[in-house]
Amino acid sequence: MQDVQTNLAIDPAVLTNIYRQMARIRATDKAIQAGLSSGRFFFTYWPMTGQEAIPAIISQLVTPRDYMVTTYRGIHDQVAKGVNLFKLFAEAMGRIDGVNKGKGGAPHISDPGSGSMLTTAIVGAGAPIANGLAIAAQARGEDRVTIVNFGDGATSIGAVHEAMNLAGVWKLPVIFLCQNNQIAEYTFIPDYTASPDFAGRAAGYGFKGVKLDSRDPIAFYNGMKQVIADIRAGKGPIFVEAITQRFGPHAGIGDSKDISKEALAQAKAEWPVTRTRNLLLETGTLTEAQLTEIDDAATAEVEDAIVRALACKITPVEETLIDVYADPTVPPQRGVYPVRAEETAPTGETKTMLMAEAVGDAQRIALLKDPGVFLLGEDIGDPPGGVFMTSRGLEKEFGKKRVRPTPIAEQAIIGAGTGAAIAGMRPIAEIMFNDFAGVCMDQIFNHAAKQRYMSGAATHVPLTIRMIVGGGLGGTGAQHSQSLEAWLLHTPGLKVVYPSTPFDAKGLLLSCIFDEDPCVHLEPMALLRSLKGEVPVDDYRIPLGVAKIRRPGTDITLVTYGWQVAQCLKAAEELEKDGISAEIIDLRSLVPLDYHRVLDSVKKTRRALVVHAATEFCGFGAEIAVTINEELFTTLKAPASRFGADFAPIAYSREIETNQIPNAGSIAARVRKIVKG
Amino acid sequence: MSTQLLIPRLEMSMTEADLVEWLVADGAAVNEGDPIYTIEMAKATQDIPAPASGTLKHIAATGQTYEVGTLIGEIS
Repeated sequence: MQDVQTNLAIDPAVLTNIYRQMARIRATDKAIQAGLSSGRFFFTYWPMTGQEAIPAIISQLVTPRDYMVTTYRGIHDQVAKGVNLFKLFAEAMGRIDGVNKGKGGAPHISDPGSGSMLTTAIVGAGAPIANGLAIAAQARGEDRVTIVNFGDGATSIGAVHEAMNLAGVWKLPVIFLCQNNQIAEYTFIPDYTASPDFAGRAAGYGFKGVKLDSRDPIAFYNGMKQVIADIRAGKGPIFVEAITQRFGPHAGIGDSKDISKEALAQAKAEWPVTRTRNLLLETGTLTEAQLTEIDDAATAEVEDAIVRALACKITPVEETLIDVYADPTVPPQRGVYPVRAEETAPTGETKTMLMAEAVGDAQRIALLKDPGVFLLGEDIGDPPGGVFMTSRGLEKEFGKKRVRPTPIAEQAIIGAGTGAAIAGMRPIAEIMFNDFAGVCMDQIFNHAAKQRYMSGAATHVPLTIRMIVGGGLGGTGAQHSQSLEAWLLHTPGLKVVYPSTPFDAKGLLLSCIFDEDPCVHLEPMALLRSLKGEVPVDDYRIPLGVAKIRRPGTDITLVTYGWQVAQCLKAAEELEKDGISAEIIDLRSLVPLDYHRVLDSVKKTRRALVVHAATEFCGFGAEIAVTINEELFTTLKAPASRFGADFAPIAYSREIETNQIPNAGSIAARVRKIVKG
Repeated sequence: MSTQLLIPRLEMSMTEADLVEWLVADGAAVNEGDPIYTIEMAKATQDIPAPASGTLKHIAATGQTYEVGTLIGEIS
């Protein structure tokens, strides 16, 4: 390389390495397209042809320690980041030896070894998660850069805006890398935004935005070099609009039919892969023979990967329930009712605490115990220390880095929690009322919940999400009083707990925080600041999946949880007067679910009613009742049934609210009917 | 070594496609990447590039619907 032109604004060796990555991406793309068009293998492909230069160049500025998040159109990003090609192809083909055991597939690659942390098929959803990875790096004092890739289409979605705002306010070391390929799936820029200056949007969130043209590889390299240096120097987030052009269709192979022939011809003429190759040749950096050698090596590497991937076993059905959780006994299964040991009663000093104080105490213990624990959520700082004062005093004690009041942005909150958890922290995210779950449901059920499974356990999410649930105080209305646990319970990958006492709230929350899977801790509004109880001051854990008999009885089992436990206990007192003995079982943890103790109780009482504050129709009660009926059909004196709220939004009227949800009187009335036939 | 041409699955919803047209004559030479035939699925047409270079052999007739995975041609 001694005779090379010296006025290139890049080290020729770096340019050579960039081309090497371009060649690997190009060979991968070609092999996928050839494989699909010849029927050699089948999978859905979202081609990135035309966009190769972006990750090829970035690959020379980052290491595997740096985090990357990308999208389903990110095969080029994966190749350049260093995901093993055999494992990548095996994954795309759904094989057990894939990087994610064939459970995530091409659109859900996670490969922490190369720094490819998460790949999402939900447009824009990676941005909030990237913030979480950046929080972890920042909190640990590391100089890692997090780069989140997304297309221009993602600039329209809320998650990206929430993420940019949060990154700005916390000065996170994250690059929002918009690969502007000029088309959002099938819709072009003028049709989906009146604000096409994407880089300019960063200013609106208080940080720098730059536009870099990837069709000029040397300028793009130098621009990115500065951006990455600024991020490592702790100057806060940067939005990079990387100009590029996609040649192919949204999905499939070949050239796009949506892009005009002229535009496509121009894009191909400006293709940075050809430009880089020509540059290396023209400057005398490499000879044609040397370039061909690079191309051939890339083709051989890809072919070897495909041959080996095709020889691997399709991920078998035995894997279905593996990696849903760390513990394969957690997913509910018909006929399988694991017996989990009860907690040992903690000894030592106790203190009378409100449930809200018990929740605060659990978080305080976790913060003291593990530097990876941090809190984030709306209004959790002092004052007010949470709207129900569940984190009162914690920001004062631990500071803003560990108790982080957030913008009102639930997607940003849950995404940040998920990302930090993937990086090994133990975040506790509060979204205030469970009614706000709708705003961030994508982050909860598509990302936090599924990440372990989709990554074949290459990653997991030890995140705790706290939500206030239910009404019962009167006057909080239809958007602050719901009981939405069924939404969460319908999502494989989440654990859901629902305490009924201050003692349980502390012990369950501590178990959630130190669990390896995402847990939702539901905190009943009706009890948080009204129910007091004796709570041990030390650390103790209540195992998830262990129900508790609150009152022994012989005639019927009332299966319940949360704030309905107290209503059932009251009903049982009334029923006692009529000579009906009701056993009350408090589930405490909804998933994992303790069917073992429930069925044991009903075997004895031979009648069962599941009671919850949530809407009865399609509720959790129906699920439990049908299992009892299936398992104990011949034992039962009456069919097991369920009792939940009427099928109406929670009313503002106190009279309606009190009556639309089961209460001691209506529960007792239902039980009398069941027992007396 | 010859390369078989099977009706590819190009979209998640795709189960079959109409072979609309061969863009290269039977027995003619093709280069890898050249469009060689057009298929129509779900009202959208798509030109399919050659997965290899060589001589194209037509096996299936145009104007008919074929299931994904059907052998329609060969490049040798």
